[in-house]
Amino acid sequence: MDLETLKSFEWSVMTPEFIILGVAALLTLLDLFLPKKMDRRILGWIGIVGILAAILSVASLLNVESTSILDDSFTFDAFGKSFKLILLVGSALVMFLAISYDAKEGMEDYRGEFYYLFLSALLGAMIMTSSGDLITLFIGLELLTVSSYILAGIRKHNLQSNESAMKYVINGGISTAITLFGMSYVYGLTGTTNLFEIANKLAAVTNGQQAYLLGLAFLMIFVGLSFKLAAAPFHMWAPDVYQGAPTPVTAFLSVISKSAGFVIVIRILISVFYNAAPTDNGEGILFKMHDYLAVIAAVTMIIGNVVALKQTNIKRLFAYSSIAHAGYILVALTTMSSNLLYSIWFYLLAYMLMNLGAFAVIQVVTEQAGSSKISDFAGLARRSPILAVLMGILLVSLAGFPGTAGFIGKLNIFVGAFYGTPHYVLAAIMIATTVISYFYYFGIMTQMFFRPASDERKLNIPFGIVVVLLVAVVGSILFGIMPNIALDFLNNLH
Amino acid sequence: MELLNVYQNNYLIVFVFLCLGVLLPVVALYLGKLLRPYKPSDAKYTTYESGIEPFHDSRVQFNVRYYIFALMFVIFDVETVFLYPWAVAYDKLGIFALVEMLIFVAMLLIGLVYAWKKKVLRWI
Repeated sequence: MDLETLKSFEWSVMTPEFIILGVAALLTLLDLFLPKKMDRRILGWIGIVGILAAILSVASLLNVESTSILDDSFTFDAFGKSFKLILLVGSALVMFLAISYDAKEGMEDYRGEFYYLFLSALLGAMIMTSSGDLITLFIGLELLTVSSYILAGIRKHNLQSNESAMKYVINGGISTAITLFGMSYVYGLTGTTNLFEIANKLAAVTNGQQAYLLGLAFLMIFVGLSFKLAAAPFHMWAPDVYQGAPTPVTAFLSVISKSAGFVIVIRILISVFYNAAPTDNGEGILFKMHDYLAVIAAVTMIIGNVVALKQTNIKRLFAYSSIAHAGYILVALTTMSSNLLYSIWFYLLAYMLMNLGAFAVIQVVTEQAGSSKISDFAGLARRSPILAVLMGILLVSLAGFPGTAGFIGKLNIFVGAFYGTPHYVLAAIMIATTVISYFYYFGIMTQMFFRPASDERKLNIPFGIVVVLLVAVVGSILFGIMPNIALDFLNNLH
Repeated sequence: MELLNVYQNNYLIVFVFLCLGVLLPVVALYLGKLLRPYKPSDAKYTTYESGIEPFHDSRVQFNVRYYIFALMFVIFDVETVFLYPWAVAYDKLGIFALVEMLIFVAMLLIGLVYAWKKKVLRWI
């Protein structure tokens, strides 16, 4: 590649990634050279400024036509733009949580690293959203997961944090290996890593044996990525990891990491397998494998919601709740309706807002109580009425009541299940498990509003938490009442 | 795509190698057992330690620092592995590879600074 081709690329579409990379490198160096006694929170603020700058640069690039540079290994299209915005806004909110996070032990020397590891993980997720090549997709995935492993164990002297990191590394490593093995089959069959070329080559496959190999590749890739989504039956790591990790990291894993997981699933499934090895009536291998997706979606919804009923630890409860939400999104993926992208994007947006808001409250309450039992929420309405009401709104949105973003998200997926071939069973399971989820979400509500407080101290709410709560609650209600804003935004992207 | 048989035959070779790998130690040890004489004595059952009398616990702890040094070494080893072919093919690769190499070296440099400031390079 000579200088002319290099100059002909539109590097400007990579500005958001360059900003995050630069800020992450800057924070690393600053953390090393700043005097030891200085408060490292300043690094967190620089990180937030960097993320906001990246959001601005994505916003200024919204009208740019889809471009791809470096042989499609970086593709800036509507898909990338829309999901990048979710990831960036979510990460900015997580950074606010991280700045307000005050662990009792084990964080003394590593606070600086805490901030820039979030940025490197975000960079990995962003690369995944706009990658048209298996290799860059995989690099992005690894950058995200390796940073998350360290983040989960950043409280070095805390036993639970160590356990969480260990379990995450082992499970994550195995799942990555399985995904990579599946990808190697795809490469072996096509001889290229470029997703568009793969799609073209696979569309010409008619040989039954090759279709069989392709089916194996599909299953392995999907199983490996299901670990990342924490979809049942590959969800067992999630509760332990979520419980042990510091609260901002738990919020990050349950929102950003999960969104990134869906991004890579959509990228690979839709572009590689949608038209691959078509049958006589033109249905790709994805339709033949459709039953496997349906079973995983159903099992994920049922296990997530039912096991959540028995939890006494708030972080474990939210781990199971996040498993259940992954199940709802998998329903959208299974039905492959024409509004697939919109429904998944909107659900992830709504989920990001309500879940991060809920984690902000969880962080305040658990830090004050020194434990993370659900009973610590008892009497929150008396200790801090505003916090209780805001948490109430977010819980109602998580449960999916009309007037909230969570409801619209579920409605999109539910309606999508009846496009084309209707999926009555999946839709029925979705309704039933949503009703089950009311029990545990309202269990927290009863604790907050109707139980006497064991601890009457007033809660002091740091500034970062206030910002997160405001954005989350306003967003949840706004997108619940006027979802057309999001729909128009997505339709106007090109 | 037409060469599916060739593709699958490659796995056949892998399978043959797997079988060979499993069979070789089994056969070798079994043959050894058949051929060697069996005359045990107490002296033969002691641990062999280069001819001296064994005096220590067999479990020895190494300083964990060796591990970190090894890790540092591997990082720069990989750097050299990348730099050599690049330097050889520099004329063909052109400016793009130069920029990529500079980015790569800069990233490793940050890693070295990190190790230095975290006192990895100091032996206590």
